[in-house]
Amino acid sequence: MTARSLVTLELNGERREAWVFPHQTLMEVLRDDLGFTEVKYGCGEGLCGTCAVLLNGESVNACLLFAIQADGCAVTTVKGLSEGADLHPLQRSFLDHGASQCGFCTPGMVVTAYEFVREHPRAGREEIRAALAGNLCRCTGYVKILDAVEAYVRSAEADGSP
Amino acid sequence: MYPSLFDYAGATSWPQAVQLLQEGGEEAKVLAGGQSLVPMMALRLATPALLIDVNGAGDGEPRRESGRLVVPALTRHATLQRSVVVRDACPILAEAASWIGNIRVRHRGTIGGSVAHADPAGELPCSLVALEGAVRVLGPSGERIIAASNFFQTYFTTALEPGEVVTAVEVPVIASGRGWAFLELIRRVGDFALVEAAALIDLDDAGQCARVRLTVGAVGERPVDLSDEAGAVLQNGSIDEASAAEVGRRASAAVDPPDAVHGSGAYRREMVAVYVRRALLAAAARAGRGGAA
Amino acid sequence: MTAGVDARTAPPAVPVAPVGPPGELVRTGETFRVVGTSISHRDFEQKVRGELSYADDWRMPGMLYGRIVRAQLPSALIERIDRSGALAIPGVHAVLTAADVPRNAITEEASGLGMDPIVQPVLAADRVRYQGEPVAVVAAETAAAAEDAADRVLVDYRDHPGVFDPEAALAPDAPLVHRQGNRLVEWRLERGDPDEALRTADAVVEGEYRTQFVDHAYMEPEAGVGWIDGDGVVTLRVATQVIEHAREIAQILGVPHTKVRVIGTYMGGGFGGKEDMTIEPYLALLVWATRRPVKMVWSRQESLLARQKRHPFTMYYRTGVMSDGRIVGETVRIVGDAGAYPLLSPRVLFAGAVTAAGPYDVPNVRVESTAVFTNNVPTSAMRGFGAMQVVFGYESQMDRLADQLGLSRTEIRERNFIKKGGQLPTHEQLDTYVAVRETLQTALEALDEEAGSGDAALDGGDTNAHYLVGRGFACGIQPYGRSRFFADRASCWMGLERDGSAVVRIGVTDLGAGQAASLAQITAEVLGVHPDRISVHIADTALTPLSGGTFGTRQLYMSGNAVLKTARELRDKLAPVATSLLGVDDPAELEFADDRVAVRGGADRFLSLAELSGAAEERGVMPFHLSTFEAETGHFDVRTGRGQTFPDFTFGTHAADVAVDLETGQIRILRYVACHDVGRMINPQRVEGQIQGGAVQGIGYALSEEIRIVEGIPESSLFADYLMPTSADVPDVRAIPLEIGLGKGPFGARGIGEPPIAPPAAVLANAVADAIGVRITELPITPERVLAALRERRGVGADRERGGPTPA
Repeated sequence: MTARSLVTLELNGERREAWVFPHQTLMEVLRDDLGFTEVKYGCGEGLCGTCAVLLNGESVNACLLFAIQADGCAVTTVKGLSEGADLHPLQRSFLDHGASQCGFCTPGMVVTAYEFVREHPRAGREEIRAALAGNLCRCTGYVKILDAVEAYVRSAEADGSP
Repeated sequence: MYPSLFDYAGATSWPQAVQLLQEGGEEAKVLAGGQSLVPMMALRLATPALLIDVNGAGDGEPRRESGRLVVPALTRHATLQRSVVVRDACPILAEAASWIGNIRVRHRGTIGGSVAHADPAGELPCSLVALEGAVRVLGPSGERIIAASNFFQTYFTTALEPGEVVTAVEVPVIASGRGWAFLELIRRVGDFALVEAAALIDLDDAGQCARVRLTVGAVGERPVDLSDEAGAVLQNGSIDEASAAEVGRRASAAVDPPDAVHGSGAYRREMVAVYVRRALLAAAARAGRGGAA
Repeated sequence: MTAGVDARTAPPAVPVAPVGPPGELVRTGETFRVVGTSISHRDFEQKVRGELSYADDWRMPGMLYGRIVRAQLPSALIERIDRSGALAIPGVHAVLTAADVPRNAITEEASGLGMDPIVQPVLAADRVRYQGEPVAVVAAETAAAAEDAADRVLVDYRDHPGVFDPEAALAPDAPLVHRQGNRLVEWRLERGDPDEALRTADAVVEGEYRTQFVDHAYMEPEAGVGWIDGDGVVTLRVATQVIEHAREIAQILGVPHTKVRVIGTYMGGGFGGKEDMTIEPYLALLVWATRRPVKMVWSRQESLLARQKRHPFTMYYRTGVMSDGRIVGETVRIVGDAGAYPLLSPRVLFAGAVTAAGPYDVPNVRVESTAVFTNNVPTSAMRGFGAMQVVFGYESQMDRLADQLGLSRTEIRERNFIKKGGQLPTHEQLDTYVAVRETLQTALEALDEEAGSGDAALDGGDTNAHYLVGRGFACGIQPYGRSRFFADRASCWMGLERDGSAVVRIGVTDLGAGQAASLAQITAEVLGVHPDRISVHIADTALTPLSGGTFGTRQLYMSGNAVLKTARELRDKLAPVATSLLGVDDPAELEFADDRVAVRGGADRFLSLAELSGAAEERGVMPFHLSTFEAETGHFDVRTGRGQTFPDFTFGTHAADVAVDLETGQIRILRYVACHDVGRMINPQRVEGQIQGGAVQGIGYALSEEIRIVEGIPESSLFADYLMPTSADVPDVRAIPLEIGLGKGPFGARGIGEPPIAPPAAVLANAVADAIGVRITELPITPERVLAALRERRGVGADRERGGPTPA
């Protein structure tokens, strides 16, 4: 059974297929076979969060999931949040607050924050701080990331549309 | 960085998983959440020839069954954390789960995987021993139930026989009024614990200790049940700074943790005293008088 | 702070006031159009979209994957390498060893002052000198096959004695890491008569301080793709801080420099870790050998195991002081562990020596700074570059002096702060304004303000926890720019397109802190082109004028000045065309703003920059320009230790309140303030980001980060064991950039890349000492070390009751 098998994903809302070996991780297949390079390799231990994607709406380590296990699932990356030329308000908030420096943690950070705010639309700064603890950033010292997510929560509250 | 090649089989039921495991022999490994196994494979510390994916073998919704909380093996840590049933029936499990790794690990990691992996620093094994829980396993010769206290044997080694898989974990429902606490010492948020302490306390009508369960984790080859040591000090007495500290001292004397990258054995041994005391006091603070049903 | 201000809403065009020369104070009322605003550049939008293509995001048809075989022992002789097993794996195209390297030597004369170079092999030939040293490199059709093949290269070793402690390595009978001896370099600086001064001082405080190996731990591991292009040029698209390594790579391949091209990608962090070559020579060798495109990515674990680290320093300080608080004499001895190869150790120990007395004018001082070879992983550049380790030494000493004399901790510092015109231990005089006093005052006031807001009260999640609270602060001096004797240069090409948009070509590499974006802002300021209409092409040895790497906090100083100079010269070149068309006599009457050139005060008299560009070209005035900025040079005499070192310095103060758990030894930072005089902010938001990020890296260094190496073998190479802080481990760092003393960067900016990482270790050591009454002198300040210190305190019978922080 070391043969390839066909995996179907709903990738950022679009149906995609890939032939994968069992040992290929979702990260590898997304990056190398399907061109979703926003899913970053950072450690391969499930620790750093640079490969975070949403699997059926829940954040997972794409480096620790075999692609074959994701067959039939919906996968969302940071690119799935923006709509064409328009940034998602959370991405806009990251941009406005200077929450990205080198940007390598940003795709994972944004989807993690997106998921958290979706589940906790009234989250305060300390809850956000705890929620992002699984995504390492080496550049920003986190302050501007928290600023960005907090401002997004406030504006989404104001809009009534998280 | 890249796992070596392996064959993959998805099991759609537990009996099928057992059958596949039997066929695969020693080279086969069970894949559940994969949050411990897959990094080991990526680092080539594990090179199984066959992975049996059990994610489709059953459900992952905890439920009550006649005074016990049954947690299916595929229950994700995040489910333990959030489940109203768990929070109601056994809040210490929800608390312990919240200390595991990061949100992504909790989304995928399962209780079955956690107990079968038997990492001495695992939060769930430590809690299950304190809770006097049991592990349901299925094997070639049928189902058996193994007490948690017997299940965890030594580092990454359990009472599972070849061909057996964990199908569920069960614990007694925590009676209302029963105080509980799960604390751990970490150097950084989300990391493996240097010391864990799980405590459960029942007080009598006078507010004295009617029963105490105490387990420490991460400090030896498996969770250490110190309930007898705790009972010897606390039984029928009050739980206060002094008595809790005395249990802490005895607990510290009862363990001999090895040196680890982020804490020497001597430090961790000293911290057992602190965390045992803190856990006992926290559990007592949560306990209601006459809680011992 | 004007977060996210868009250039379109930036202040309206007003005349740019002349900027004073370096060394003067920032004048009030100076107004800029684009400089000083927090606009975000195109690359940041690509980052939040996930669209930016990093080194590992690049693919080529027919690409192979490379992997390095690394030494498993820290010191051994290679008896035999068997590659047959690797070659037997399907899809393996090359297994290269030392014999396959045309010129197996990485040589860099690291000090810049004429030392004998020590050769580092690209692939170890007969001997390995540290665990993780490359011994072979393989290429295969898939990454997994490359890993399989690397696992199957069998190396037979014979034990060879090693040495793992730098002070032991200096012993006469120590095993030699290199036949030239284990002492790589010793810098000796002396001013006045420190021995006499210490003899006659009212009090002398001695201290010994130790720091640890740490890793850069950028989120992006080392990566790149290489191929041979149509002209036979080996082309490497890699994450590097220094594209100029192309020359060294050419030498390794034995080809002319022109036959290697390095394209530097936007990096996922550098921090000095991509300043030396990482994957480049291995990638080049595999491309050369296979004639196929090759990708190489180091796993996080091999990056932690084998890429260079920050130097552990052992520092011996003796500081003599008069009873009024004046420091009269000081001796400092620094021993730095260079690991197995020189890399940039001589320069790191040099920077440590120059700044070892801190931002203080010490009339009698001697500094001896030695780099020593061991069989540990090599150490080299990391943010702060030697000048950060010593802050832990000199700022711990300052608090001890204050305690000894019964002076306040601010008084002792204020009495000794160096001023413009004051001298470093090298006898050189500082020639710009030193605002360290202002940063100290500002930081302490801000900390009081934060404490007053009371939102970080001790909520004590743990039952019955017992805490002591303390306050600490530390001041720092950090150079920016390369040592003057390197005669640093940066070149830039700039052109105005037919449509009035602008192109900048410059060899600068971008680590992720907005290096390229800042250059767009400077260009926009001078030429009046909207930032969105400027493209900055960076980091390509074939196409961009070289500007030197991004390191040593030199990039804004060098490239920023190069861009500023080029832009001004281009503007001056085009101005006569504009004056003739607009009918004015003096180019000073022109204003370049809002994508046009206009006559000041004449609202309707203007040309669009597109019109200007076209008109210039018609007249044979080509609307582009190439220019080179030359840094201030200077001479340094190795023998006397006197001379000029760095172009200029950045000063700052950090301050914090901490709570120490007396039972567990854990430290919680309640609030943290970081203040630096940055001269001039090109982009305030990114300056703040640099300060906050640097401070948090420094906090990790202070409290938790460490690569523990025992007998040459790291205890762990798991990322899980490298304790860099998460969002939940650190407080919100309040960054306070001041614009006080003009520096030597564009518009008077001072470098801010490295300075913020330097103070935290001393800040937290001082805060812990304030809380518990005992000083930790070894990093990181682990809970265990705190408990040991508490035990020591109980041992001497001293006791302090729980209380608030001591007033500074």
